[in-house]
Amino acid sequence: MNKYFTAFIILVLSFFYIFFSNDSGGGRVFVNLLTFAGIYGLAAIGINVHFGWTGLLNFGHAAFMGIGAYTTVLLIPHSLGREGVVISTGLPLPLAIILGLIASALLGLLLGLPTLRLRGDYLAIVTIAAAEIFRLLVRDFEDLTGGVYGIIQFSDSLQNSRPDFITQFSENYNISSAQLWVGLLTWFSIVFVLIILARLKKSPWGRALRAVREDEDAVRALGKNAVLLKLQSFMLGAAIGGLSGIFLVFNYGTVQASTFVPVLTFYVWAALILGGVGSLGGPALGAVIFWVIIAGTDTISRFLFESPDGQQLAGVRFVIVGLLIMFCMIFKPSGILGDKEELLLDVK
Amino acid sequence: MIEQLGNGLLLGVIIALGSVALSLLYGVTRIVNFAHGEIIAFGAIMTLFFSSSPDSSLLYLDRFSPLGINFIASVLLSTVLCGVFGGLLELLLFRPLRKNNFGNIAVLVVTIGLSIFLRHIYLLFASAKPTSYILELQRRQDYFGIQLTPRNVQVLIVGFIVMVLVGIFLTFTKTGKAMRAVRDSSELANVSGINSDYIILVTWVFSSMLAGFTGIIQGVINNVRWNMGFLILLLIFAGTVLGGIGTSFGAMFGGFIIGILVQLSVGLQFMDGHTEAKNAIALALMIVILLVRPQGIFGSKDRIS
Repeated sequence: MNKYFTAFIILVLSFFYIFFSNDSGGGRVFVNLLTFAGIYGLAAIGINVHFGWTGLLNFGHAAFMGIGAYTTVLLIPHSLGREGVVISTGLPLPLAIILGLIASALLGLLLGLPTLRLRGDYLAIVTIAAAEIFRLLVRDFEDLTGGVYGIIQFSDSLQNSRPDFITQFSENYNISSAQLWVGLLTWFSIVFVLIILARLKKSPWGRALRAVREDEDAVRALGKNAVLLKLQSFMLGAAIGGLSGIFLVFNYGTVQASTFVPVLTFYVWAALILGGVGSLGGPALGAVIFWVIIAGTDTISRFLFESPDGQQLAGVRFVIVGLLIMFCMIFKPSGILGDKEELLLDVK
Repeated sequence: MIEQLGNGLLLGVIIALGSVALSLLYGVTRIVNFAHGEIIAFGAIMTLFFSSSPDSSLLYLDRFSPLGINFIASVLLSTVLCGVFGGLLELLLFRPLRKNNFGNIAVLVVTIGLSIFLRHIYLLFASAKPTSYILELQRRQDYFGIQLTPRNVQVLIVGFIVMVLVGIFLTFTKTGKAMRAVRDSSELANVSGINSDYIILVTWVFSSMLAGFTGIIQGVINNVRWNMGFLILLLIFAGTVLGGIGTSFGAMFGGFIIGILVQLSVGLQFMDGHTEAKNAIALALMIVILLVRPQGIFGSKDRIS
């Protein structure tokens, strides 16, 4: 129980930091942080299915998140591109979300088929390349995606379903009701996904996945199709990533070519490694702590530079993210909640 | 189409040099080095720092003013510095990891962290704006129907000479042979009295010098940017995979093909107005290659599974 106690202490300290470092509007900052943490946590849960359960190196999560988000947003009423062409008809939101998740899973299938037979590092290269291809295509095919101008005015489909008491509550505490609704839905989804994953992890299928991670040849010798198992895991994680991408764009209220840049993936990885690879709740916890750290880096920027501009803020943030990934991987590869036995890092 | 061939050759020489360096390091150490691009950028940025005139404040924070020394001397100095940088990375980071039995996947994640860290250090110290070396502007001339500036022709020739030298080094010198021995089987190399720790250190230094030189060439042909390494790294991966990961001559060949292909694709009909997508074509080709011939054109099958 020791590590759960540590996790609890860190979480409480993080929340204290947030409330006491913001004199005014603590509630607003808190909701903002928890919403982003939930979205990144959900994305990290997706990578955890890949890496933590099956040992697959996915560094192109931004593409899975992006394709889910773009598919969903383009299927509901929205306004597109430079001229803001309004498309007022569309599918109902739940159907659009399901199609978005299917699109993410299909991209996983597409990338998994050529690479999952090969050694792990090939998958890393291919997924990182796929994320870059996705970004370039989104940027270049402006007719379809709105390019750098992006897509706007799609939030209503989600916000229309917001219950009145949330609007009321937000007004009382001076927080953004739209963001609160997205944040709540995100954390509900996390709980829902984790319940499913907890069942899957104990199922024969989940145990077979972990066996693939430990020793693929042994799995083959027992008559299981290791490539098929990896492919299923890859599609499942991709769909979870797609769901987080959908929440991400609803949180922003817009989506442009710059929303799903490759560095998004590294943020998510940092959250995952911090929280604990292979554990169920670790990624979500890691995402919360990660966002508190990110909020803290802005203080460091102000300490280093008199009045940091956007470039310096981003620079310091990512220097910290890079260090976090390196140090966690070297000194505490199991993260806060991870299990050392679950991690087989000496795989050659 | 033909007018793009010059640009294709230039991009090809950059990717080919970068691919040899990446492939060599991978072959000897089995590390897929995502920080390779940042070593490339280090070479380019250090050359900018050495060669720009001292009163130009275009690049660095006020506390660092450029040194303003001769350009050729800057190139040599930066290349050596990149070697030192690579050697330090091996001694301080990767050797301890190896001694503690870190697996390839853990090391790969560490190189990704390292790459993000270094790249944004550059962002903090170097401007986000693309910057050029102080070299006189030149007009493009006609060489056998290919349009290039005289300097670009020099760069191409120097690039080819460096590649030939790398080939001679790997084929004929004792250290080069030892590198290839460790690459083929580190146990057998150890048994025959090769100190594999020493060879791995030499490989890091050699590969980093080559990477730094790649960055300088890239800086001369295009410009210097904090994220130039990350942008070219994916194309270098494509070149390496195409030629065969772990090979040397294959990587050179693959790099050239990728460079020429990327630039030629600009002239294609359906690419009209989609200039950004040219890189996507190279990356898509890499994925197709992995599907049909994962060991690449010159690779051997036992390296891939």
